Amino acid sequence: MDTTMRRGSKIILFVVMSAIALIQIFPLIWLINFSFLKSGDFFGSSFLKWPEAFQWKNYADAFSNGRVPTYFMNSLFVTLTTVIVSAVLALMMSYAFTRMNWKLKGPTMNFIMLGMIIPIHATLLPNFIMFNKLNMLDHLGTLIIPYIAFSIPISMFIMTGFLETIPRVIEESAIIDGAGVFTILFRIILPMTKPAIATVSVLNFITWWNEFIMANTFLVSEDLKTLPFSIMKFTGQYSSNYGAQFAVMTCIAIPSILFYLLFTEQLTKGITAGAVKG
Amino acid sequence: MHQVMSNKKTIFLLVVPGFLFFLFMVCVPIVMSVYYGMTDWKGIGDYNMVGLENYINILIHDKVFWRSLWNAILLVIATVVLQHPIAILFAILLTHMGKWEKLYRVLFFIPAVISIVVTSKLWSAIYHPNFGLLNKVLESIGLTSLKQEWLGNPDIAIWSLIVTIMWQGFGYALLLYYAGLQGIPEDLYEAAKLDGANYTQLYTKIIIPLLAPMMRVAIILAVITCLKQMETVFLMTNGGPGESTQFLGNYVYKAAFSSSLYGYGNAISVLFVIFCLILTVIMNKLLKKDVGEF
Repeated sequence: MDTTMRRGSKIILFVVMSAIALIQIFPLIWLINFSFLKSGDFFGSSFLKWPEAFQWKNYADAFSNGRVPTYFMNSLFVTLTTVIVSAVLALMMSYAFTRMNWKLKGPTMNFIMLGMIIPIHATLLPNFIMFNKLNMLDHLGTLIIPYIAFSIPISMFIMTGFLETIPRVIEESAIIDGAGVFTILFRIILPMTKPAIATVSVLNFITWWNEFIMANTFLVSEDLKTLPFSIMKFTGQYSSNYGAQFAVMTCIAIPSILFYLLFTEQLTKGITAGAVKG
Repeated sequence: MHQVMSNKKTIFLLVVPGFLFFLFMVCVPIVMSVYYGMTDWKGIGDYNMVGLENYINILIHDKVFWRSLWNAILLVIATVVLQHPIAILFAILLTHMGKWEKLYRVLFFIPAVISIVVTSKLWSAIYHPNFGLLNKVLESIGLTSLKQEWLGNPDIAIWSLIVTIMWQGFGYALLLYYAGLQGIPEDLYEAAKLDGANYTQLYTKIIIPLLAPMMRVAIILAVITCLKQMETVFLMTNGGPGESTQFLGNYVYKAAFSSSLYGYGNAISVLFVIFCLILTVIMNKLLKKDVGEF
């Protein structure tokens, strides 16, 4: 369609698009720029500055005082466990809800979909009380369990939409050949639902990699904290060390961006697939 | 076929593990909140049942509760009136970008994947009165008189927050509409052009109406997200100055953990959930009527 556009309007189009893109991206460029400055260099009127000497020390501080490596591993463990377990559970449930016949599946599905509306924050206090009573506070599992629970509604929303597009013929012949539901699900359906599984995984990864408020409430030990807490380390006692704070923020932002760049097509396709159903 | 697909034991094995997570982490807590919301529990020690006292106090006397709701509604309005129309426009423009489409799509979406902790701290720095980017930009374009403490002024802080939240959520809204546009069959564009429709007609008469179901989903998702807003507030202003930027999620947290009013905080949680449910039902009804069935 772009071939029919005149040259003039094409230039306007690019200018307008670039303006918004700049608004979206510039704060991050500013962030990375300032992560290489000495705190004293922040002042003055120019909004981007070539550092006189790159302050790699900011990054060294970030890694040591911000405990980036430890927190990174904690985040990775919590997020990967959540992503894998919730993908498997959501796939199993979605299959039962779209393919199998049982009386209560309509109401149960609606009930679970209500979970998309429930704010995490409304469950924060009772979950805190519950974990406290069960002596479960301050374990990484205390994060993983609610993360999985809150991943299920949105994951099922996307997966059931995708499963409905898969024709039933293949399953029918598999059943005639004597295959059971689990064989069908994990040998036939699972490979076919890879795109939906990928989308759900990317979405969940982004959500839980960045989750902060539950981690802030349920974790106490320094050794168990997740990546967002690296920043918090620099906002209290090190509040004046903006250079290191910006370096930590860059360290946390970069993996998310790289992960997104890796799976950007998947995310777009998945949202498209979900949108068709929605 | 029917027999295999109706096997109760299989259905049980497929559904129950996931459902248990959901039940114990999402449903049970809400029932617990309803219970604790009817007590005067301070977080430790004994407590008394006070019935609906907390709920009545909140609804009748608690100005901060209503301020929190109002702030959420301001955010909803800003999102629906500003962010979404811009997102629709740019989603449409994006489809005309040819080989640049992907690059721009990625640029728009990047803020949405970055941790809220990072974006909150980043925007706190952008709003910083001394070295903040915003004041520097205003100075360099000659608007020095507009320079100020963006998060320190109770009248302005809420808008500073709203801008941050909209900045982060813009890419997501755009991607939803872009996805909606991808779902519209290519031959519709061709057919409209053969019939002599120009761009304006093509979009106002065909594309936008076809995008309506997507708008419904996107707006409902946005409203839910606006209500649930908490982390940005927690990290940027913690509800202040005063209570001018308070949101319900943050207020629940503050009541329980800073003021040790567990019972009261749980009652706010319950009203929070009820409010989310009511608003979603209303939105669903309203928008369904507006766009018709698809």
